[in-house]
Amino acid sequence: MSDVDVALRARETPAGGLWRSLLAVLLPILIVAMELGVYFIEPRVLSAGNLRNILIQSSYLVLFASAQMVVILTRGFDLSLGASVSAISVASALVMTGLDAGDAAPWIVVAAGLVTGLGFGFLVGLFNGGFISWLGINPFVVTLGSLNICLGLATTMSGGRPVFNVPDPFSSLLYNGKLIPGVPVPVMLAAAVCILLYFLLDHTVFGRALYLIGNNPRAALLAGLPSRRYLLVAYILGALLAAFGALMLTARTGSGEPNLGGSLMLESIAAAVIGGVSLQGGVGGVIPVILGSLFITMMSNAMNLLRIDGYIQQILLGVIIIAAIFLDRIRSTRA
Amino acid sequence: MTARSTDHGGAAPNVALDRFYRLYGAIGFLPIMLVVLIVLFAIFVPHFLVLPNVLNVLRSSSYLVILAVGQMLVLMVGGFDLSVGAVVALTSVSSALVMAGLKGQMADQPALIILAGVLAGLGCGFLVGLVNGLCVAFLSVSPFMVSLGTASIATGSALLLTNGIPVYGMPVGYVDGFGRGLWFKLPSAVYLAIAIVAVVFVLQNFTRMGRYIVAIGGNLQAAIVSGVPTRFYLVATYVLCSVFASISGLALTAQIGSGQAAINSQLTLESIAAAVIAGVSLKGGVGKVEMVALGALFLLILTNAMDLLTIDPRIQTIFLGIIVVLAVALDELSTRRTRRV
Amino acid sequence: MVESSLAETPRAAQAAAREDLLLEMTRISKRFPGVLALDDVDFDLRAGEVHVLFGENGAGKSTLINIIAGAFAPDAGEFKFRGRSLVRLKPHAARMMGISPVFQEFSLVPELTVEENLFLGRELGAGGFLNHAAMRAKARSVIGELGFDILPDQKVGALSRAHQQMVEIAKAFLTEVRLLILDEPTASLTEAETQNLFALVGRLKSAGVGIIYVSHRIQEFQKIGDRITVLRDGRKIATVKSGDVSESELVELMTGRKVGVLFPSIDHRPAAKLLEVEDVTLSDRSARNVSFYARAGEITGIAGLVGCGKSEIVRAVYGLEAIASGTVRIGDEEMAVRPTPIDMLRRGVCYFPSDRVAEGLALGRPVRENASMAALDLPTFSQASILRRASERRAIQGIVDKLKLRPPQIERTVAKLSGGNRQKVLLARGMTRDISVFLFDEPTVGIDVGAKIEVYELMKSLVAEGAAIVLVSSELPEVMNLSNRLYVMHRSQMVAELSGADINEAEIFSHFFREKRPEDGLAPARSAMAT
Repeated sequence: MSDVDVALRARETPAGGLWRSLLAVLLPILIVAMELGVYFIEPRVLSAGNLRNILIQSSYLVLFASAQMVVILTRGFDLSLGASVSAISVASALVMTGLDAGDAAPWIVVAAGLVTGLGFGFLVGLFNGGFISWLGINPFVVTLGSLNICLGLATTMSGGRPVFNVPDPFSSLLYNGKLIPGVPVPVMLAAAVCILLYFLLDHTVFGRALYLIGNNPRAALLAGLPSRRYLLVAYILGALLAAFGALMLTARTGSGEPNLGGSLMLESIAAAVIGGVSLQGGVGGVIPVILGSLFITMMSNAMNLLRIDGYIQQILLGVIIIAAIFLDRIRSTRA
Repeated sequence: MTARSTDHGGAAPNVALDRFYRLYGAIGFLPIMLVVLIVLFAIFVPHFLVLPNVLNVLRSSSYLVILAVGQMLVLMVGGFDLSVGAVVALTSVSSALVMAGLKGQMADQPALIILAGVLAGLGCGFLVGLVNGLCVAFLSVSPFMVSLGTASIATGSALLLTNGIPVYGMPVGYVDGFGRGLWFKLPSAVYLAIAIVAVVFVLQNFTRMGRYIVAIGGNLQAAIVSGVPTRFYLVATYVLCSVFASISGLALTAQIGSGQAAINSQLTLESIAAAVIAGVSLKGGVGKVEMVALGALFLLILTNAMDLLTIDPRIQTIFLGIIVVLAVALDELSTRRTRRV
Repeated sequence: MVESSLAETPRAAQAAAREDLLLEMTRISKRFPGVLALDDVDFDLRAGEVHVLFGENGAGKSTLINIIAGAFAPDAGEFKFRGRSLVRLKPHAARMMGISPVFQEFSLVPELTVEENLFLGRELGAGGFLNHAAMRAKARSVIGELGFDILPDQKVGALSRAHQQMVEIAKAFLTEVRLLILDEPTASLTEAETQNLFALVGRLKSAGVGIIYVSHRIQEFQKIGDRITVLRDGRKIATVKSGDVSESELVELMTGRKVGVLFPSIDHRPAAKLLEVEDVTLSDRSARNVSFYARAGEITGIAGLVGCGKSEIVRAVYGLEAIASGTVRIGDEEMAVRPTPIDMLRRGVCYFPSDRVAEGLALGRPVRENASMAALDLPTFSQASILRRASERRAIQGIVDKLKLRPPQIERTVAKLSGGNRQKVLLARGMTRDISVFLFDEPTVGIDVGAKIEVYELMKSLVAEGAAIVLVSSELPEVMNLSNRLYVMHRSQMVAELSGADINEAEIFSHFFREKRPEDGLAPARSAMAT
């Protein structure tokens, strides 16, 4: 292993401190600049009501972006994110409306809904993680497969139509309850998840292992870290986070939607990568996820206020994705 | 001897399984499976081996063959193209719009209208492929991500152009003569597919580009050091893939009779499935066009049988997902045995 | 092709060879992030000369030949080939001019055949189409002239490393060769194949081709080299005529230290057997019927050529390669057929990989995390899966200070450290747990002499504390001078166990060139001398 090889491989290491801190400051500046810019065209954007809206809206994205981050840390990917959200929404709604119709006690109905949702998420994570960690199959293909499976399940179970009448206790638990006056429930839940995730990533062996596995899977293996087990857990964790987000969204819409996932997959990836999670693996955290989610949500919010066509927003999302990966590439080649 | 980036420790070896995989590699799993499947379905599935159904299967698989062949080329250079389905939709929409738009002015020159529409469609494919290729070759970004981005842009554009409503008004000759016509008893699309397979066969076995595609996917460093213009051929491959997707889109649109933004959203996954079933390695450097054609046929015979057995298409989606994962798992396990360090 | 590289008639060529300065490099410097690879180096080559480039790994040999081959440009200095000054040379252009490199890491595509690899980038044919017949004929003629036993339609991925090297060499001869660079060419060749190579080199010399021969096998290049240039730490130390300097003088020039000073004297106090490997054969047959043992208080060396299986057997002990048959015993305990790294670590066995970057270190993470990576399950570092960060900091800082990491900052990203310091971080891992058996795999590759000495001192102190060390190394001086007992492996089999005075280069080499027959047991030292 000559120095030439060492030098040539140095290109593969993550960005130098200066550049990374530059980019960390860049995003908040961009956010502020964007909001100010839009303000001049549409003053409503900085109203209390709209800001509150943004906070609530980004709470959901924070959950989904965290789910992506957890697997991207390990050099993986979850393309099934949106589809699994749809399937979970439909499944839990079906269970709850079914039990509700049978006059079960409200807390049993809600509990059943939660268990169904999280259980489904667990299974998706198990499927993905199992094939990826144990058989070493390309995460893209596995999650592409599970994407289709979830999509099929969502449309089959729902018959193609929304499942209405999700019970009120469920909605108030996860959406419009008044636990802490003035603080919307989604924001509270997202904040709680962020705190837990931060603790997990920075203060547990599992979290440390995720970063090490993402940075160099071979080295992690040699050092005796149970890489395969942790990888499986990472996919399950990601799926559970997404499941929780799905339940929160279902509470908000009040129905099980077979299209709830929609563009969530792309949005969650865009949010994570823009915020600073590196696609090469081993780089990321809660703060990048929060920043990225805020950015994407604000952009979407601004475009809605400016009455920009939904289809154009989809195009823009694609452009953002390409810009984000370009940015990520630059970040990771500054050794 | 560099470690693969997602190598988290392999499965334990197994001698019997080893022999199985060597057999699989030597004889070619696919042709055998295909024959077995046809025989099974002929016996158990009603209306399977009748002429109208056979023609139907041949026609449907032609569109997929063209698509899968393009995907194969991109897989061989070590890449991935998740935007093929979106390109089909965009091509469908743009060609239909152009043709419908020109109908007023050039009603007496249908050939020109068709030509304009076809060019518009191919242009879309060319553009998307160019973006994909340039980003991968010059920016060195992940092909997965780039094609995800371009897919979103392409789909969004298609929806924007049509507001989700099908576009009618394509010339009758195009739809009836080409799209739905039978030339010498076979659907026109079949001839198109055969032509493309032939072209790619020549490409793979008789041209420089064919070798370079294998080299770039097999060992990029070696290719660069040997003086292969890797960037040019990378871009060319992605462009070729998207153009093939366009061709498939044009044929499909002609058959359907209208430009649709919502055209078959499973095409991307199916193209990957067909390629992987045909033994195209996700790592690059391996792939044969004849096998990919069989792979597409295999997939469509399966879907056709499920249709005839009136299995819900939504459940078929689930099966597709499972098939892809299993096919890739088999591929991964078999290459693990035969790979030389 | 060999004959056709003659520019003039034989007599004129001989005359030209004496005068002809093929290559002239003056004051070449090259810097990479974190390391000055070449510092003001002069190098020249005459036509018809074999000029040996000698030095340890990391001395700058690779960088220099990469510059000559056009892989990258020097930061400073002049580079003249056949009188012409070369600026911004690209690999393809270099080949066209007659500079043909044969690197250790081959530029071959495994999925393509021999013929396809030979012509990669310069296929014969018109307008994008290939002329198979012409390429097949040319391939056959080149291979035939070189006398290699390879066939044009074999898939390169299926060939042995030695045969792959032949393809790589044949590749060089597809165009006219004026300057041939051979980078450690005999690393995996048999004696017969090596002789063929030397004969080829001889033919090229008389045809006026200049050859740069990179090697650190002294006995070998003294046979065919005309001049020897010694590099150390990126600087040219000396250029001498092959006959004018002795072996030990060369080693001194290479390391900059007297042989006695470089390697510390280590007290040999062998105690219990801590590791025993009995008749182990690996699933991929890279090691067959290997038996050896390691005792506490002793350094057990395993020497052998590249590819002989010495790394593989030690990796198998640690659980990284699959074992088909045989037993591995740690202390008194027999191990399950496929041990895992965590099992081994818990039993006090630690493995330091040869490829630090690929397998050892997480470059983007700080020193602290890299050092504690293998011990996160221990109470010092975690409690109920929750990290004890303050405790971790204290523990790692202590170890890092003891190992003299420079600078001793544990929050620094490992990517920013030099080779020697990176190795220390890796070694620190062995200090975080209770380890009694240390498996060192090529431990001093790519690190400077100062750091090497510190590594050897560490080994000395470990052994003094009662640990067992297994040292796998391709660097003969290192493994000879440090081992108390030395095993020799050749072509996947253990061929000798040496101790005491029998540990010398001649003895070791004698085992490389005898093919072992199945009925031979482990060749004891005495009888080998008699052959």
